[in-house]
Amino acid sequence: MAQTITIDPVTRLEGHGRITLKTNDAGEVSEACFSVTQVRGFEKFCEGRPYYEMPALMARICGICPVSHLIASAKACEAIMSVNIPPTAAKLRRALNLAQTIQSHALSFFYLASPDLLLGMDADPAGRNIFGVAKAHPELGRAGVGLRRFGQHMIELLGRKRIHPGWVVPGGVTEPLDATKRDEILALIPEAFANATMALAAYKQIAIRFQDEVESFANFPSLFLGMVSDGGRLELTDAKLRMIDAEGLVLVDNLDAAQFDQYIGEAVEPYSYMKFPYLKSLGYPRGTYRVGPLARLNIASHTGTPLADAELNEFKKLAKGPVLGSFHYHHARLIEILHGVEVIEQIFSDTGILDKHVRATAGVNRQEGAGIAEAPRGTLMHHYKVDENGLMKWANLVIATGQNNHAMNKGVLQVAQRYVKSDKLTEGMLNRVEAVIRTFDPCLSCSTHAFGQTPLVVELLAPDGTTLDEIRRS
Amino acid sequence: MIDTHTPHSTNQPRRALLFACGNTFRGDDGVGWRIGCAAEQQLRRADLTVVMTRQLLPEHAQAISAADIVIFVDCSAVTAAGTVSTIPIQPAERLPHTLTHHLDPGSLLRLAHDLHARTPEHAVAITVGGESFEVTDRLSTTVKAAIPKALEAVRCALCAALVPGTVSQTC
Repeated sequence: MAQTITIDPVTRLEGHGRITLKTNDAGEVSEACFSVTQVRGFEKFCEGRPYYEMPALMARICGICPVSHLIASAKACEAIMSVNIPPTAAKLRRALNLAQTIQSHALSFFYLASPDLLLGMDADPAGRNIFGVAKAHPELGRAGVGLRRFGQHMIELLGRKRIHPGWVVPGGVTEPLDATKRDEILALIPEAFANATMALAAYKQIAIRFQDEVESFANFPSLFLGMVSDGGRLELTDAKLRMIDAEGLVLVDNLDAAQFDQYIGEAVEPYSYMKFPYLKSLGYPRGTYRVGPLARLNIASHTGTPLADAELNEFKKLAKGPVLGSFHYHHARLIEILHGVEVIEQIFSDTGILDKHVRATAGVNRQEGAGIAEAPRGTLMHHYKVDENGLMKWANLVIATGQNNHAMNKGVLQVAQRYVKSDKLTEGMLNRVEAVIRTFDPCLSCSTHAFGQTPLVVELLAPDGTTLDEIRRS
Repeated sequence: MIDTHTPHSTNQPRRALLFACGNTFRGDDGVGWRIGCAAEQQLRRADLTVVMTRQLLPEHAQAISAADIVIFVDCSAVTAAGTVSTIPIQPAERLPHTLTHHLDPGSLLRLAHDLHARTPEHAVAITVGGESFEVTDRLSTTVKAAIPKALEAVRCALCAALVPGTVSQTC
């Protein structure tokens, strides 16, 4: 008998989503869809505002990755202004973006994902959270909280606020770095290194216990998109985009922000408010792709920092070509944390970082501009059109999580087919369906957030709507 | 009840931590920040660190574990407007099942214990009953008038914890 199973809301991720599974007459899961049930609207309500307000306004899209929105938005504004920002401003923004990546990745791995990994997918959900991790594995709990504190404190030092700092503006940053702040940041580096390396070592041991999940968590061929510097170095702030296929063949290279919409289209599905970006030349859905830490490490040949390079070499041995299993997002995230700490140390060890020239000024010199940056969750693109006075006429945003939308849906189906037995639902079974989504670390809301063990009702319904089984989480 | 306090060595300077909590754009909810500022400017204690924050977060656990006294200053939406209350805080027996984006003081003390195996000897919440939480950066007259009394409560808590035997008649 065909049935429908709904997981609503999906827990321990940013925002509100729902998973619907449909079974066929044989009781096997035949369809799955991951629906994002909230609407944003920033593209619309920014219309009529001055373009230079956009970084501060657009940063309000997200409380976790406001820095990425600040940077992508400022770059779009700088395209409108036709300016290049001072080199020191570029370095400071790069450091800020890495600080945000570290704190966001720490949140994703330690606060949201590690309860499943350390306590077990089938553990009592009442204790399957960061508090449970702190009690059972205090050393990893300290590392996670410490890395998040490091990233957030650095953002606060540079941008004056942990969330929604206003330091990044069109043309650069509002004020130069002073030596006191630089020294404070450098003093935090050793502890951050210790936490990052310890977490990586621990993760490798943990992952051994999850081979079944490694094989079945959104593990399939796909395209990958990410930023990479000349020469193939991992870069999250200032470089161009590259897209590769599942064999590692480069399909698109040196793609800049202005070309983004020539190559990338956006499809919609009736069951979700989140768009489905795809490579236009391959069409939808064949041209859908993955972004984020896994994509970036698949695309980059090296990181340019010694400790992360050693880890990347090991990571690349997981597969002959690109690493396809989304469970490895967790691993990639930890490598990026290590890389971020190394780059931050390099940036702040350079005496030139105290240079006072950190902002370029100009007016409206073009009526269209686009900017890209790598957010923690993947490539982020802001595209604006303004009138001759610089007032916003139109905006389009391609958010990282949306670019993983098709892969998340496909992953949910794969995991559901592997684990869900429709004759009897268990919490652990459904937690795995949620956990595959968590590997992508999606941010569904971008401006509102809900995570943790929020109330959850999972119902198993017969085609006539009769409830066959139900699980409640309060 | 969990046993969480490990005293520092007697020759170490004692340390106080004050969390000034609230949102200065939501009327009386900003009273915690006003009291935090006043404590920093008027008490002028080298052993006191004031942290202005909108929320209590897991990232605060480390600093708490290193303090001898922690004071949480916040607005109360429950007590009568302008009422100053001093409430002893114990580490929570159980942590919440849900972590959204903030913690209550008891849960934060418990997390400090679980992560760092130490909590402060003294922990109190000093609250001021709020009257209006509308979108404004101004306090109501009633709550504004309660700030000196709340500051005195902070001073008394610090004296009692850091310099035993020096509590004044006013405390």
